[in-house]
Amino acid sequence: MSYKPHLERADSYRVATVIATDDDNRTADGHFKSRRKMPTKAAKKENLDDLKQELDIDHHKISPEEMYQRFQTHPENGLSHAKAKENLERDGPNALTPPKQTPEWVKFCKNLFGGFAMLLWIGAILCFVAYSIQATTSEEPSDDNLYLGIVLSAVVIVTGIFSYYQESKSSKIMESFKNMVPQFATVIREGEKLTLRAEDLVLGDVVEVKFGDRIPADIRIIEARNFKVDNSSLTGESEPQSRGSEFTHENPLETKNLAFFSTNAVEGTAKGVVISCGDHTVMGRIAGLASGLDTGETPIAKEIHHFIHLITGVAVFLGVTFFVIAFILGYHWLDAVIFLIGIIVANVPEGLLATVTVCLTLTAKRMASKNCLVKNLEAVETLGSTSTICSDKTGTLTQNRMTVAHMWFDNQIIEADTTEDQSGVQYDRTSPGFKALSRIATLCNRAEFKGGQDGVPILKKEVSGDASEAALLKCMELALGDVMNIRKRNRKIAEVPFNSTNKYQVSIHETEDPNDPRVLLVMKGAPERILERCSTIFINGKEKVLDEEMKEAFNNAYMELGGLGERVLGFCDFMLPSDKYPTGYKYNTDDINFPIDNLRFVGLMSMIDPPRAAVPDAVAKCRSAGIKVIMVTGDHPITAKAIAKSVGIISEGNETIEDIAQRLNIPISEVNPREAKAAVVHGAELRDVSSDQLDEILRYHTEIVFARTSPQQKLIIVEGCQRMGAIVAVTGDGVNDSPALKKADIGVAMGIAGSDVSKQAADMILLDDNFASIVTGVEEGRLIFDNLKKSIAYTLTSNIPEISPFLAFILCDIPLPLGTVTILCIDLGTDMIPAISLAYEGPEADIMKRRPRNPDVDNLVNERLISMAYGQIGMIQAAAGFFVYFVIMAENGFLPMKLFGIRKMWDSKAVNDLTDSYGQEWTYRDRKTLEYTCHTAFFISIVVVQWADLIICKTRRNSIFHQGMRNWALNFGLVFETVLAAFLSYCPGMDKGLRMYPLKLVWWFPAIPFMLAIFVYDETRRFYLRRNPGGWLEQETYY
Amino acid sequence: MSKNNGKNEIYENQFPQPAKKQTISEMIYDPSNGAIFGRTSKSWGQLFLFYSIFYIVLAILFTICMQGMLSTVDNHQPKWQLDQSLIGTNPGLGFRPLSEQTERGSVIGFDIKKPAESDYWIELIDDFLKDYNHTEGRQMKHCDFKQTHNPNDVCVVNIESFGPCSSANSYGYKTAEPCIFLKLNKIFGWMPEVYESPINDMPSNLVNVINNTAAEERQQIWVSCNGHLGKDKENFQNISYYPRQGFPIYYYPYLNQPGYLSPIVAVQIKSPPLGTMLDVECRAWAKNIIYSGSLRDRMGSVTFQLLID
Repeated sequence: MSYKPHLERADSYRVATVIATDDDNRTADGHFKSRRKMPTKAAKKENLDDLKQELDIDHHKISPEEMYQRFQTHPENGLSHAKAKENLERDGPNALTPPKQTPEWVKFCKNLFGGFAMLLWIGAILCFVAYSIQATTSEEPSDDNLYLGIVLSAVVIVTGIFSYYQESKSSKIMESFKNMVPQFATVIREGEKLTLRAEDLVLGDVVEVKFGDRIPADIRIIEARNFKVDNSSLTGESEPQSRGSEFTHENPLETKNLAFFSTNAVEGTAKGVVISCGDHTVMGRIAGLASGLDTGETPIAKEIHHFIHLITGVAVFLGVTFFVIAFILGYHWLDAVIFLIGIIVANVPEGLLATVTVCLTLTAKRMASKNCLVKNLEAVETLGSTSTICSDKTGTLTQNRMTVAHMWFDNQIIEADTTEDQSGVQYDRTSPGFKALSRIATLCNRAEFKGGQDGVPILKKEVSGDASEAALLKCMELALGDVMNIRKRNRKIAEVPFNSTNKYQVSIHETEDPNDPRVLLVMKGAPERILERCSTIFINGKEKVLDEEMKEAFNNAYMELGGLGERVLGFCDFMLPSDKYPTGYKYNTDDINFPIDNLRFVGLMSMIDPPRAAVPDAVAKCRSAGIKVIMVTGDHPITAKAIAKSVGIISEGNETIEDIAQRLNIPISEVNPREAKAAVVHGAELRDVSSDQLDEILRYHTEIVFARTSPQQKLIIVEGCQRMGAIVAVTGDGVNDSPALKKADIGVAMGIAGSDVSKQAADMILLDDNFASIVTGVEEGRLIFDNLKKSIAYTLTSNIPEISPFLAFILCDIPLPLGTVTILCIDLGTDMIPAISLAYEGPEADIMKRRPRNPDVDNLVNERLISMAYGQIGMIQAAAGFFVYFVIMAENGFLPMKLFGIRKMWDSKAVNDLTDSYGQEWTYRDRKTLEYTCHTAFFISIVVVQWADLIICKTRRNSIFHQGMRNWALNFGLVFETVLAAFLSYCPGMDKGLRMYPLKLVWWFPAIPFMLAIFVYDETRRFYLRRNPGGWLEQETYY
Repeated sequence: MSKNNGKNEIYENQFPQPAKKQTISEMIYDPSNGAIFGRTSKSWGQLFLFYSIFYIVLAILFTICMQGMLSTVDNHQPKWQLDQSLIGTNPGLGFRPLSEQTERGSVIGFDIKKPAESDYWIELIDDFLKDYNHTEGRQMKHCDFKQTHNPNDVCVVNIESFGPCSSANSYGYKTAEPCIFLKLNKIFGWMPEVYESPINDMPSNLVNVINNTAAEERQQIWVSCNGHLGKDKENFQNISYYPRQGFPIYYYPYLNQPGYLSPIVAVQIKSPPLGTMLDVECRAWAKNIIYSGSLRDRMGSVTFQLLID
């Protein structure tokens, strides 16, 4: 029998459903037991030992008197003010130390000296060195170098400040989470009740806690009334647990007399003594552990580093080579230094890192609007490269709301509507069976809607009371209408509340039929217990004797519902005869004086926390996107499997080992584990497997559910996946999830249910707690990766027309065709907006239909991108630039052949009469004007060819005619770069400031044939790419 | 996603395969597939072929464009002239001798006791004047102020009229009284608008010269040289200009006439101070020559330095 419900907390309805006892002898709360036995790697051991150690406290074991002694406190009067002050001074405030933040100036320096900044700093320093040497050796030093040095420094500083600003802006998002509503606590000091801020609590303080409060520190309870806490953020268990003053368990997490910092009181009131504060609390230590975990680089950071190394390598290689060549050619060493500066400036895409930052920011914003709040900008892309998602069940995959899923009456199972918007199937609400069942569910129910929720849909209303009763209440409210009114009409006379020994709940009501003097007894509870108390069964409006056949039917229904992982309750009723129990009869609920046997069985209702509507679709999308979705839950395997099946984590037709064994009717041990694609792994099994075995599980099963796992096992699962080379996303909401969240490549915390600590450890926060939002995140992440590629391809292309003028200048001795300032105008001016606008580009094909990128192979910048940008498109652009240069030179008098070898004379100030091809003699000033006009024209022609480059970079495979020009940001970018180029050329004063001169209109045109060539070439290339998928052209040019 | 969807199943839920790690020697040459630097020779060949074709096509495109452009450019006259051209309408001055070693800048320096040093400059001037010496067989006219001037005529520049600045006299370099030859930059089609009477800005010596010049001979672009800096002005008492202190108007306009020679003014600096650098600025005077003496924006003038030891 595969259906093995577990014994859980004493007074939960789940206990009522126990029918089998052959469980693994482990309680749900026994999570840290498993932690102790968990197979650990040496490195992990220390951490987990820490976790274990932190629980070695004895405050719960000692007698109350000893404890008062220890903390020098008094249960009635509390601490003295003096002692409290002393303690506060000694221990500091009762708050978690925020994780160590990198100091702001370090962050700033990283931005100032990271990436290409060092290269540019070297360029700037060379400029200053060159200038100071010129200044000391020459009478009238040209201040070009000083000017360029200043510009370069300014560029580095400005881009540094910009990146820093962007970074700090995105981290500001988190500030909103940090500044939570201040918590207050009621404290007794010197016999006086005070309301203090929770931070001011000290060891030994006597605090009072009531429902709705957050526990202000770790406290030992000394008095409690019906007190229940929600430990879910600590242990992952969602059921409220009752707490009292008695010491019940060695383990501090399980003993009843401790309540922990940052958990919530859900019911009742309690008084307790603070036994630990701030970082010393259980919560504080886990948070500390999480912040100590090493997280490593994000995938996109790796890619960017890879790319920076590549470009820096090229820059240094070219720079040094030409420095040496310049020497060999006999240049003055100062000239060689100036060449070096030029090559560095031309090689470094100064604006690119800022562009990448802006692109990521834009995506982060877009994701935030889709409920994915990204804390760390780089994490935007991580989700896109994610290949495995370890998802929580409760709240993420499910609605976190018990809902009635099935009913069994009239000997048939009826499906109730579990969808969030009540769009599912409806059932017949008029049959007598349903009427009887609904009457019991309505009346034998203590749950009530909380006030002030008139506009809220029924399913979303908050309910006070047990989750199961709340589910029944909502179901009945939906089916019958005003439940409270029905209860009013059927006044409750007496009630026996649920307890764990009886496992049933009884109440007695007057009926709404005034002519019927009889009273109605209704009972619900564990189905088998209820059935035991019944002698008849109500079927199709008739009361029948409960014979073996009916019992069989009952059992089948019970098994079926239980097999769905649902929590089943049985319902029965009985009309008490009016002669024995007249009006005014005193019902004694302690010593029962009314019949609770031989009742009439009516039916079963089963509840489940149903999956969210969007989840199955989202899981399917992940599947087709090649992402493995692993469910990791603390819940029961049956429930977990049922949910996994219903959302598609275990797809239809896939079997687990157990399923195969059952189908073939052979023992589990005989099944070849490789045959089973799906696996439901119990936390207890996980305890005993080595990391190799875990690897095997992860490798051979494509669909895995980890049930009954402790949060620490989650960490092991994450590590296992990472060992397999996967990029792992982990969702979690509890404090105890935070190590796994931190360890994961991208930790996703829940915005609604998540604890502060988990939010702090995570890289991303799902504002709606919905798994489907992760999928949109994946989509955005993949899109931005593609678009960054395009953006980089676009930006890098213009490097070739920037470098080649310098090379020609050195090798061919021609006047410089493009100056360093104009290069900066391209990199930081005209190229910026178009490069950023590519971030808005839509996907080319369904990006959720391909597998996640392999971080080892699919790089952001690969040799194909370089080959395309540098080797092909860049070369056409360079040709365009040189053509314009020759056109202007020739039209003004210097025919191309005249230019070769003229450089020395050209750049000599002493030569005031340089002869051109027509015998005209040019003064230094005039030919410099001509040279700068050539720079401007070269610049303009780069802008012109970049139009075509931008359009071809829109797509990597599709035709532009297919992709369209609907990216308006990009269209704006085209206009912007043109307007900016025109402004730089024509604005008066630019000749002084940037050495840019106005161009004749005709000088815009020489680049146009090359622009068309780029467009036609690439469109043709992509045409062949599409025609011959996987062909040579794709292998060599598809980036 | 159904399990039967075979296409997706290929990669469904597989972990990515890590890239094969290569040693450095394998990177250079991988014996398993014969790859050199990560490519087989066939692959290198294909890549080479692709890029060869690509660049050949690009070169053809570039050549076509260049040919197209050159066909629009005339061999005789520049496409853009005067204001249309970046050369503008403001000619500067050039001087000779000018060292070919650009590092020496505009310094004319020599040691009077070392003949080799002065010979260097003399040779440069000889070279410069070669064109002016060998005018045989050219269509040249002896022009003067009285004749009406045909724009296409080429006027003779008589280098015999330089007085002490003659080749025979070693241009004064042997006697520490060096001659510097000035010429106005040629600008295609440019016509001067001369000052026929002195203006206030002119140095007194030039004013005297103009006043002493016959009215019909005042059709000249006047030239004046001076110490550039205050201290140098004191050393500038004794300068002579040959054949006259200006460029006669009949040499203009320059229209790329065959055999055209720029008029020259030889400036002899008599008794320059020895052992100190003398900074000289020479300036051309015409109504349509704008002057700017700023270091970076020099117009209508030229500077050079004289250093005689």
